Amino acid sequence: MELGGLAQVIDAGSGALSTTAAAVFGVAGAASITALYLLRLRRRRVVVAFAPLWLGAAGAERATRRTRRLRHWLSLALALTLFAAILIGAVDPERGAPTQGAIDRGGRSLVLLIDRSASMSATDEMGSRLGAARRRADEIIGGLAGTDRALVASFAADASAESGFESDPLRLRRAVAGVSPGDEPGDLQRALAFAAAILRGRPRPTVVLVSDGGFTDDARRLAPTDPDGRVLDVRYAPVGRRADNVGILSLAARRIPADPGAVETALVVQSFRPTASTTAVEISSAGTVVEKVNLTLAPGERRRLTLPNLFAPDARVEARLTGADDLAVDDHAQATIPPLPRRRILRVGGPDLYLDGALLGLGRTVHVDRLPAAEADRALARARDYDLVVFDGVTPSAPPSAGRYLYFDPQGAGNPFAAAGAARPARPVRDPVIDPASLRREHPLLQELDLADVNVAEAHRLVLGPDDVALAGSFGLPLIVTRERPALRIAALAFDPRRSDLPMRPAFPLLIANALAWATRQTDDAAAGAPLVDAGGTARDARESDTTPVPALTLGGHLLPPADPPARHFRARLGIWALMLAAALLLFDWLSYHRRWTT
Amino acid sequence: MTAAGHNGSALGGARTDGPIGSRFDERFLRKLESLALTIRRTTAGRSHGMRRSRRVGAGLEFADHRDYVPGDDLRYLDWNLYGRLERRALRLYEEDEDLSIDVLVDASASMGMGQPPKLDLALQICAALAYVGLSNLDRVAVTALGAEIAGPPPARGKARILPILRFLDAVRPRQSTSRTSLAAAVREFLSRRRGRRRGLVTLISDFYDPAGARAALELVRRNRLEAIAVQLSAPDELSPQLRGDLQLCDVETGEVRDLTVSPGALADYARRHATLLRELRGHCREHAIPCFTLSSDQPFDAVVLRMFRTGGLLG
Repeated sequence: MELGGLAQVIDAGSGALSTTAAAVFGVAGAASITALYLLRLRRRRVVVAFAPLWLGAAGAERATRRTRRLRHWLSLALALTLFAAILIGAVDPERGAPTQGAIDRGGRSLVLLIDRSASMSATDEMGSRLGAARRRADEIIGGLAGTDRALVASFAADASAESGFESDPLRLRRAVAGVSPGDEPGDLQRALAFAAAILRGRPRPTVVLVSDGGFTDDARRLAPTDPDGRVLDVRYAPVGRRADNVGILSLAARRIPADPGAVETALVVQSFRPTASTTAVEISSAGTVVEKVNLTLAPGERRRLTLPNLFAPDARVEARLTGADDLAVDDHAQATIPPLPRRRILRVGGPDLYLDGALLGLGRTVHVDRLPAAEADRALARARDYDLVVFDGVTPSAPPSAGRYLYFDPQGAGNPFAAAGAARPARPVRDPVIDPASLRREHPLLQELDLADVNVAEAHRLVLGPDDVALAGSFGLPLIVTRERPALRIAALAFDPRRSDLPMRPAFPLLIANALAWATRQTDDAAAGAPLVDAGGTARDARESDTTPVPALTLGGHLLPPADPPARHFRARLGIWALMLAAALLLFDWLSYHRRWTT
Repeated sequence: MTAAGHNGSALGGARTDGPIGSRFDERFLRKLESLALTIRRTTAGRSHGMRRSRRVGAGLEFADHRDYVPGDDLRYLDWNLYGRLERRALRLYEEDEDLSIDVLVDASASMGMGQPPKLDLALQICAALAYVGLSNLDRVAVTALGAEIAGPPPARGKARILPILRFLDAVRPRQSTSRTSLAAAVREFLSRRRGRRRGLVTLISDFYDPAGARAALELVRRNRLEAIAVQLSAPDELSPQLRGDLQLCDVETGEVRDLTVSPGALADYARRHATLLRELRGHCREHAIPCFTLSSDQPFDAVVLRMFRTGGLLG
């Protein structure tokens, strides 16, 4: 045969034989096999010493020969069947269909969109929901018609293709098996847009969404459309059997400026169980459990926990839920504790060892600048550069309008708490006694302070304005006051600490630390945000922890139809089956030959 | 060293004037000599060359009485018996004589079958028996049944072994298109032997002729000869390796038959072969004929030694 003819015989696209060539080869091969088989019937002559030992009764011999003849014909039929199977395998009738990448106008174009978001790790299905999704996808692949082409894609926060458009079930199943679980929330709209872009221009586009259906209402509000604006045919194959999960939605931690060794932790836990349940949260740092909280949560209840004053030896805290549920990925959270911010304090006044000692106790994160009492007004001008300005027995000439200040015994015209229109300074009050009932212990400035028996030699009367609060007093005489206005925060002691025994007490350095924390608190909260979450913490989408099954999914107000049931038709390529049959026949022929059944 | 160049050394006093042949090389002759020595030690104490025959004559040992008939030698009349019983009876004595040994080898075409051929072992056994007999001063004759050449005349003394070996070396399986009748061949042998004294006849064959085998042994027995049967089978005949569709051709008759050798056919063959041997052994046991069934791949010296030790041959 000429090369040109051979090229016509063998299809260049598929490499398969043409039907005419197959017929020619079939006839020639069958004839050759039959001829060879007739030759094969010739018996080998063997000389024996005494033939009667070999030959039994004549009747039995004839019967054997008839059986042998039948077996010969069976053997010939076996050989011809084998040849036919190989020929069919070479022709492969279904290879006439489009090959990889070609578009078959008669078949569907499917995108198998498998959800691999965090909730798919739930173990309510055998293995996990993702395992169930893989099995469901395999079933769908098994139901594809011979002319269908499918692409396997997976999605969580983003979508990715796991295969090209294939008709080979083995490749598709391999792609399905390659989908691995993620810990991100699922972005359905992005995934559908991805699928629609892939399906653009393909015949009969169809998306089969294999998911547990845990998507936001926003994601479900929009109807899926292709880039041309046409509604996309989306089928839904649900997985998931029950909702049995309690998850940690967020965890954040920060150090308390007033007590750098302590940590404040914020935790949000939610139950997605249909019944009330009890669980426990363990907070640990450096492998040591530092706190354990038992929680009883109502169905669907979300509980926010703030755990102040935790000791954390490490820069990281971990929270863990004890007790089993279906989703392990949200039973654990961790947060990095940010270091304390650097603070700057401007101290104005003469030498004061007590105050300097208290400021030194604030640690290396606090930088202290000093100005003499004569430059008190200059301190006001530089106040914006500092987190706190301390006037130690010094009062600038004018009250400040912005900044954060701590006054010790303010007097004169610059006293922010001076009585309006007073012609002369008020006379000091001697030996005021702190009224315990006047103490506002809940105020940040007085936290952890014990001022009940502090002895004060004398104090000056401070006049409170509408925004001022007296935190401690002596029977009508305010001794500690605060003022909070936009951009202004002032705390003031009505007495000079040096004319009291306060500096001799542990409360004094705590008062200074609390004053710094209070002065900067608003700034910290603004930086950390509310609720307490920092960049090193954990924040999860509650949808991914909500493992409630969604047996029916609605997109754009339309209920998604289920995926087609597995087809009952013969799916695999005839050629592959024919070759497998040929291999089986070869094996049988080998066995029968060596068992002397057919030869 | 070859047999030709070593006069008499391998066979004691026998002189080898030239090569004996491919069957009986120097190694064979040395094994033969060694075998004869071994057998001589085994039968030590017996008077060699003078085996007691059944013949009653002028021996020294009393055998029996028989009534006197006129003409008997009065020297053998038992006068003591006559004195006590007044009965005239002759004293009979066993006559000592040399034993007449005939070794018959079936040289039919079927004996040429097998790997190694059965005929080779048969001839080696024949040579060994002949040599041992000659060494015992017995009168030995060898005959190839069905062969186209005649054997040497009976001989005595081991110096006569060489003609026997040359004859045996020349024996070839018979090429014919008809089955050799063992009984006919034995009958012919007996007719040629007529006139010789009684003795021992060893028949070496595959006995692939059940009726003929029985008839041949019966002929030997009826001629008042002691018979020994040695049945040979080739390994391929004991456990055939044939499979599949075959044309079986009988080596003696040339008859061709189609047969499919299946496991069942092999089992049938084995059953028939076992039956043939069982019938042969039963016939021999019934008539007190020593019978040995051997495979042709066994070494001849071990076979012969076994025949002497367990079979009472020449014992």
